Amino acid sequence: MKPNDLPLHGVGAALQRKEDERFLHGRGQYVADIRLPGLLDVAFVRSPLAHGRLGAITKPAGFEDAVYTMDDLVGVRPIRAVSGLPGFKPSDQWPLARGKVRQVGETIAMCVAASRALAEDLAEQVQVEIEALPAVVDMLAARGLAPAALVHDDWGDNVFLHTHVRGDLAAIKASAPIQVRRHIRTARQSMAPMEGRGVVCQWDSRLDQLVMHTAAQMPHINRAGLSECLGIDQGRIRVIAPDVGGGFGYKGILLPEEICLAWLAMKLQRPVRWIEDRGEQLTANANCREHDYDITLYAESDGRLLAVDCDATVDSGAYSSYPFSACLEAAQVGSILPGPYKMAAYDCRTWSVATNKPPILPYRGVARTGVCFAIELMMDAVARAAGITPQAVRLANLVQPQEMPYDNITGKHFDSGDYPQALNRAVEALDLPKWRARQAAGNEPHIRIGVGHSIYCEQAAHGTSIYHGWGIPMVPGYEACHARLTPDGVLELRIGAHSHGQGMETTLAQVANSVLGIDEQRVRLVHGDTAMSPYSTGTWGSRCAVMSGGAVAAACQALLERVQAIAAALLNAPAATLRAVDGGLTDPASGRRVTLAEVAHAWYRQPQRMPADVHPAGLEVTAGYKAQRDTGTFSYAAHACAVAVDTELGTVQILDYVICEDGGVLLNPLIADGQVLGGLAQGIGSALYEEMPFDADGQPLAPTLADYLLPGATEVPMARLDHMETPSPYTAFGQKGIGEGGAIAPPAAIVNAINDALAALGVEITECPASPRRILQALQRARAARAGLAQAAVSA
Amino acid sequence: MKAAPFAYDACDSTTQALALLQPRAGDADDALLLPCSGTQSLGPMLNLRLSRPARLVDLSRIPALNAVTRQGGRLRIGAAVTHARIEDGDAAGVPDVTRGLLPQVAAHIAYRAVRNRGTVGGSLAHGDPAGDWVSVMTLLDAQLLIAGPSGERRVASSGFYAGPYTTALQAGEILAAVEVPVFSDRARWAYRKLCRKPGELADAIAGLWFDPALGVARAVLGAPDGMPHTVSGEAAVQALRDPVAVGLQLDALHITDPVQRGWHQAMLRRAWLDIDTASP
Amino acid sequence: MTPITLHVNGRTLRADSEDRTSLADHLREQLGLTGTHIGCEHGVCGACTVQLDGAPVRACITLAAACQGRALRTVEGFADDPLMAQLRAAFSAEHALQCGYCTPGMLITAHDIATRLPQADEELIRLELAGNLCRCTGYRGIVRAIQRVLAERLSLPTR
Repeated sequence: MKPNDLPLHGVGAALQRKEDERFLHGRGQYVADIRLPGLLDVAFVRSPLAHGRLGAITKPAGFEDAVYTMDDLVGVRPIRAVSGLPGFKPSDQWPLARGKVRQVGETIAMCVAASRALAEDLAEQVQVEIEALPAVVDMLAARGLAPAALVHDDWGDNVFLHTHVRGDLAAIKASAPIQVRRHIRTARQSMAPMEGRGVVCQWDSRLDQLVMHTAAQMPHINRAGLSECLGIDQGRIRVIAPDVGGGFGYKGILLPEEICLAWLAMKLQRPVRWIEDRGEQLTANANCREHDYDITLYAESDGRLLAVDCDATVDSGAYSSYPFSACLEAAQVGSILPGPYKMAAYDCRTWSVATNKPPILPYRGVARTGVCFAIELMMDAVARAAGITPQAVRLANLVQPQEMPYDNITGKHFDSGDYPQALNRAVEALDLPKWRARQAAGNEPHIRIGVGHSIYCEQAAHGTSIYHGWGIPMVPGYEACHARLTPDGVLELRIGAHSHGQGMETTLAQVANSVLGIDEQRVRLVHGDTAMSPYSTGTWGSRCAVMSGGAVAAACQALLERVQAIAAALLNAPAATLRAVDGGLTDPASGRRVTLAEVAHAWYRQPQRMPADVHPAGLEVTAGYKAQRDTGTFSYAAHACAVAVDTELGTVQILDYVICEDGGVLLNPLIADGQVLGGLAQGIGSALYEEMPFDADGQPLAPTLADYLLPGATEVPMARLDHMETPSPYTAFGQKGIGEGGAIAPPAAIVNAINDALAALGVEITECPASPRRILQALQRARAARAGLAQAAVSA
Repeated sequence: MKAAPFAYDACDSTTQALALLQPRAGDADDALLLPCSGTQSLGPMLNLRLSRPARLVDLSRIPALNAVTRQGGRLRIGAAVTHARIEDGDAAGVPDVTRGLLPQVAAHIAYRAVRNRGTVGGSLAHGDPAGDWVSVMTLLDAQLLIAGPSGERRVASSGFYAGPYTTALQAGEILAAVEVPVFSDRARWAYRKLCRKPGELADAIAGLWFDPALGVARAVLGAPDGMPHTVSGEAAVQALRDPVAVGLQLDALHITDPVQRGWHQAMLRRAWLDIDTASP
Repeated sequence: MTPITLHVNGRTLRADSEDRTSLADHLREQLGLTGTHIGCEHGVCGACTVQLDGAPVRACITLAAACQGRALRTVEGFADDPLMAQLRAAFSAEHALQCGYCTPGMLITAHDIATRLPQADEELIRLELAGNLCRCTGYRGIVRAIQRVLAERLSLPTR
């Protein structure tokens, strides 16, 4: 849609964000900005070793009452996030280490002082004995039956969970003309939002309640986890997520530090604070994306897919994190590896492997980024084997629009969409002939031009029917919204999800406008506070447009009926005929009108004017919402890019980047584009820059932002966005979740482009990030191989 | 990450600074007394607790260390002059006597916000082999003026670094200024550095400098492991057009990693291209 | 503890801090100016960028004590600044912020670009932004917002 075609209000408007105002003036309130009288700061003593037996901990003389270990936290239980999938092995993660340390950065003791600097001084003086054990760092080696070391001594192996999606490939393996096998890897990354985690905690003795401010995506889930670990009932816990500086999954977790601070606040009866610094964030929490695929695609000679066969391994770190559990990502690989393609057969084995690294969390896209990388690189390999273009091989295998809704080979129900059209539009927008011409001309020495594509579909807002099968400590059900009009006609919406950049204060006001006709500026969103909002599993999995949007729409619809009934009495007109528009209700017959403010004033201040059958609960409603079918929406996008590879330096410059995305009906196109572009930047990071390497002793090797490279303004090109809009048949407005998609496809598109650029030199990259070193080493190996062949040819 | 405790002293004269850098009664035997100016290199090290001085003496407000004066064929740049002032050149009272070399190098150090505080003296005294000024001053064989209790002494760049982060500065001394030669209008230069992202420290640096009027032909290979390596003399420098000769230099520096060698070769090759295609 | 006097946002503010305290911590903890954010404490991410004597600096690797008597401007101190008002309007129009954490530092850097490099093209704008990391927006909105303001200011009639 061109900008001029967009509505000015309501769903679909490119409304500027209401929340911008405070952020642009530095008046946001993040957890580190909260000031409470008598606040004390906490610094943690953290394990310098990746694996070891914890011995004596000696507190500095004279400061014994300012330093706490697990022995002091009597009655506090470990974090134990189980999955109901058969064979899952649970782990106990003590808030402060007990018995063993299993990752660099694991919390061992907490030190409290008047300032963070003083607390760090104290932490340095705590002596900790650790008997080093061999570190489990290589997930493939650790996966074996007789590993050299065990992360969890009572397990017998290092596998949280093994899954097997079974298919019968025997006949296909025997006869498929094209059989392409590759070993594909994605590196461990750090999600690195600009704001780290943080906790400010106090005990409110008047309310007999723990009050915790925490940079969190799922306050109600944190509340449940705190209750389980601290042994106090949830009514005595209030969790508040204030302004949160980015999440991406990083803040969708119950933290050991949260449990420690909660205990400390109750013990000291004073407010306490811990703010994660960047060093902690990078070294103790590089916790996503490390996948390994041994994957084979079987196809006909014309490129039509017959089957996919795969061993997939995910490095899941030392502990199962709450609530998603250690196995979610690997098990998800098994169910989504087929992507948007059709095939006759599929067999996939997955392993969630325990290692001496930080516990895995689902980062934007979750397993989808690794899966897209694997399957899309393989599709290009099949194309080369079949002698057809990458575009053609995809078109031959994508689910077709006339087949929608489509139940794929793993039982995923694709709700709607035209995948081939998205691919064609992206490729056309890239202008393939232009880049092929530049590629052929080869004018610049050391520069090789390449083009690449990738396409994916993204399941979002899937609910009860999908999640109950996982058996994890969280199953989304109905999403609730509480809506009420204030006596002067302002709409207050209370939801349990929370914004950490998605602009929900604006988009949900737009939903309210579409139903109630109320101006977005007269809508207030109350969210992120367990005391003020209904239960929700929170903000993750691109679910809020669908679930919070649907809940707000449902609540506003219920409120509309109440409003209509009162307005009908005031206007002496039938309720059903009254139209809500421009902040009021109009009787089309007489043209008379009453504003929402007048309706509210009448209810609250003039009950004598109410009809006898007025609803007793008046202008306050709670509604719950589920999608018509809760197997999830499927947004999708095709990415296409052109790159220039400098074969002397190994660097990659992105010359052009096009995305054709379909998120169904967009609540706010400005915000939706922002989500796609933000995801793209993170995808570029995954593709080219971001990696947390670990040495053989499990030491993280990129402990500062000078080593762990985040894409900056010079690394992210001005991408071009094209939009399609195929509504979901199952959601309130036809909207789909799209928040993660931008981060899913770039590694595949970019590495496919690099491989296109370097194919003539015999290079095929199967690993990301495609760093300069990896590219140069691949070029060197290819040169050596050619020299070897030439040598053999000479001697033959 | 908060720094370990230290005391901070400001001062507004070299004499005062030198006095403050002398140990006083009550200092521990191993107390580290450090001069500082912009703290842009020192700051991260303090915050990471990699540097634990007992006392910092801030030189940034000393007028003599902020002065830029031309003395015959040399420009004397006070050690507390910021990278931003060198970048801005004449507008900031730092005349460009190197036909654009110094301003261009300055403009690509870190980010503007860091350049507004970081100083040329601070960088040189810090001695990170990947730092630009370390390579550039070595290329120019700049003279370093050191002020100490017994007066000012002069050390050539070639003698200033014993190794990474290890300079000729003794305890109690400060870098007062750096003197760079004034280029003739026949001078030509090239400076290439390879960074993964703008503002990062370099993976490889190559610099070339010819000034027939001064009888100068010099090349520098810099970053990241050892101190910059120079080659001087017309024949020796011209020989570096040949990758084989460059390879021998890299052998002598014990740079064996093929990727690292390739980067150094690439930077030098591109520096030659810049020199050869530059307008006179 | 050392008494530190700073002229911040046009007011003279005195408070004590340890000598080791960074300017960022002094502003946030002692002076209650929490608009300046801390993102890395090694000078890379730019979230802490403030103006010192009119030029952007990193508050996280600058000592509070080293700023004794100097004039500082934080994001809270631009209420009457016309250029900053233009930048704010442009940031909102171009969706140049999402979570808002990098925004104060971005605005101060953007203010510097518009002041010092009024004719910067896209490439130079991106280079000047290299020291301000954003994890949410992908930078397009930020670059466009700055381009918009530069264009607005260039089209003003000269006297």
